[in-house]
Amino acid sequence: MATTDPISEIVTPSAPASVGLLVMLASMPAEQVESVLTKLSAAFPAEDLLIAAPDESCADSFPSLRIVAAPASTPSSTLTAANFVHAYQLAQTHEARAILVLGPESWSLESIALHSLGSAVLTTPIDLAVSRYALRPRVSLVTSAILYPLTRTLFASRVRFPLAIDLGLSPRMAERLASAAQRFVAADQGEAPLWPVNEATVSGFAIGQFDVGPLVQPHPSAPDLNTMFPLVTGSLFSDIDAKAAFWQRPRQLPPAREPVPIELAPSSDSAAEIAPMINAFHLAYSNLYEIWSLVLPPNSLLGLKRLSALDAAAFRMPNSLWARIVYDFVLAYRLRTINRGHLLGALIPLYLAWVASHINITASGADPEGHIESVAAAFEAEKSYLVSRWRWPDRFNP
Amino acid sequence: MQNILATILQPNPSQAAPVDNASVWHQMSDALHQSLFRILSQLIAILPGILALVIALAVFTLLGMALSALLRRGLTLLKFDDRLARSRSNNDWTPSTSPTALIGRTSFWACVLLGLVVGVSAFDASFATGATLPISLLPYLTHVTGAVFLLIAGTFLARFLARSVLIGAVNTQIQYARFLSLGVKWLVLVLAGAMALDHLQIGGIVVELTFGILFGGIVLTLALAVGLGSRDLVSRSLEGHAEHSSERSGQPSTTPTAGPEDSIRHF
Repeated sequence: MATTDPISEIVTPSAPASVGLLVMLASMPAEQVESVLTKLSAAFPAEDLLIAAPDESCADSFPSLRIVAAPASTPSSTLTAANFVHAYQLAQTHEARAILVLGPESWSLESIALHSLGSAVLTTPIDLAVSRYALRPRVSLVTSAILYPLTRTLFASRVRFPLAIDLGLSPRMAERLASAAQRFVAADQGEAPLWPVNEATVSGFAIGQFDVGPLVQPHPSAPDLNTMFPLVTGSLFSDIDAKAAFWQRPRQLPPAREPVPIELAPSSDSAAEIAPMINAFHLAYSNLYEIWSLVLPPNSLLGLKRLSALDAAAFRMPNSLWARIVYDFVLAYRLRTINRGHLLGALIPLYLAWVASHINITASGADPEGHIESVAAAFEAEKSYLVSRWRWPDRFNP
Repeated sequence: MQNILATILQPNPSQAAPVDNASVWHQMSDALHQSLFRILSQLIAILPGILALVIALAVFTLLGMALSALLRRGLTLLKFDDRLARSRSNNDWTPSTSPTALIGRTSFWACVLLGLVVGVSAFDASFATGATLPISLLPYLTHVTGAVFLLIAGTFLARFLARSVLIGAVNTQIQYARFLSLGVKWLVLVLAGAMALDHLQIGGIVVELTFGILFGGIVLTLALAVGLGSRDLVSRSLEGHAEHSSERSGQPSTTPTAGPEDSIRHF
C-alpha cells in the first residue's frame, strides 16, 4: 500500500511518525468524522496530532486528541484556494511540522493510507504526498482525458490524479500553495481549484505518489458537467498559460510504475451508455462547427468530419486527434481567440466524444488504464506541435 | 413676368439706352456680389468651427495613439497580463483580447471620442454665433455618433449572447439550438436598431410600433418553440432535481460502497 513514486524516496511504513502533524478535515457528517479520527488515532500517536475540523462536536468522543476549529468549507470535489490558505494559516499558528489535508470522502480510506500520506511529509524529504486512488475504470474521466495527460506531458509528472483531494504537505509546500492561493482569495475567488503538482514541479519540490486504495467519489459541488468542466479545465489552462516558460523546455519523465490493480465490474450495455454522448457530439457538429473552425485547424476539422460519419459501434477517436484538439483549445485559451467561457463550453461535446470512444475501446476488451496511458503518450508525442504553435501562432497550420 | 420684362426692356425716350443697360448690369452685379459675399461670410463664420473640429480630432487622435503606446509598453513591462491571469481564475465573461491590448485600445478610442466631443462642441459654439445658416443635418452630428455607438454595442452584444445561447443549448442537447441562438441575436439587433432610430428621432411612432410588433413576434415565437419543444428537457431537469434531493435526504454511510457499478463519473 505504502509504495511511492519512483521519482521520490522509498517510504518505509514502519518509520516512526514525528510530532506536529496538522490534519485538516473537510466538512462531513459526525459519524464520518469519528471514522476518520479513529483511523488517524490508529495511524499516529495521539499526542502528535492536531485535528482541525469545521465541527468540534466530536471532541468529546476523542479526549486524547487535540481538536481545533477550522473554517467551514463548501463541499467540493476539488481542493480550493481557500482550503490551502486556511491550512497554511493554521499550520503557522500551531507551528505544525507537516499538514495532512483530507477531503470529504476521506473516511473511506484505510488508516495505513493516512499513515503513508502523513509520514511521507513528516519523516522524508517529500514536499507533496499525493494520493493515487484505485478507482473504477469509468470514474474521474475528465482527469483521464485532459488533466492527467496535460500534467504528465507539460510538467513531467506521473501523478495520476492531479486534482487529488487527500494530500500531505511540507511547510514550504504549504507556504508556496498558500502564496499562490492568496491571489485567488484576494480576488474573492476562493473557490477556484489550485494545482499542487504544477506548483511543486515548478518549485523543484519532491513529489511522492502513494497508493491509498479505493475512495468513494465525492459529489461535485457544481450541479452538472456544463458547470464543473469549464471551471476545472479553465483553471488548468490558465495555470499552463502562467507557467509557459517552464514547460516549454524539454524534461525527462520519471519511469513508469506498476499500475494499480482495479477490480473491473461487469460491463454494462456500452451502446446504451454512449448513445447520448454520440448524439451530443453530432448535435454539436451540426451547430458548433463555425465556432470550432475558429479554434481548430483544417486537419482536425477533417478528423471530426470523419468521426461524425462513424456509427456508434465503430466510434473511435484517434489519440493524436484528441491530443491536438486539446492543445488547440489550450492555445485558443491563451490567445483569447473567442470568449473563454464560450471556448470551454465548445470543448464539452468533443470531450463527450472522447468518453464515448474510450468506453467503446474498453468495452472491446482493452485495458482502461492502458488506453489512458496511450492517450498520455500521444500527448507527449504531440508536445512539439503545442510548443510550435505557442511560439508562432500565426504560422500556417494545415 | 413678361410684362415686367417688357417694361424693363421698353425704351424710355427720356433716358439714353447705354445708361439703362449699365444700370441693369450694375444692379445684377451688385445682387450677385452681395449674395456671394453673404455666402462667403457665412462660410467663413463656420470655417473656424470646422477647422477646430478637425484639429481637435487630429490632436486627440495623436494623443490617444501616444497614450495607448505608452500604456501598452508600460503594462507589458509590468507583466500586467500575467499578474491579472494569476490573480483571477476562469471567468465566464472574459474579453477576447489580452487586458493590455484592451486597455490600450480603450484609451485610444476614449481619446478619439473626447476629441470628437471637443471638436463638435467648438463647432457648435462657432455655428451658433456664426449666422443663420440653415444646415439642418449638422445638429444631428452628436445624435448620429450616439446612434452609431448604440448599433456597434448592440451588434457585439447580439453576437456574444447568440454564441452563449448556442453553446448552452447544444450542451443541454436542445435540438433547435441554432434557432434559439438566431432568435436571441435578432431580438438584440432589433432592440439596438430601434434604440438607434429613436435616438436619431427618426420615424417616431412608426418605429415604436414596428419595434413592438417585431419584438413581441420574436418573443412569442421563441416562447412557443421553447414551450412546445423542450418538454423533454424540463422533465429531465425535474427528474435530475428530484434525484439530487433524494440523494441529499439519504443518510450518509460510513462504509465504503462503490455505488452503482460501472456508472460514468466525469469528476
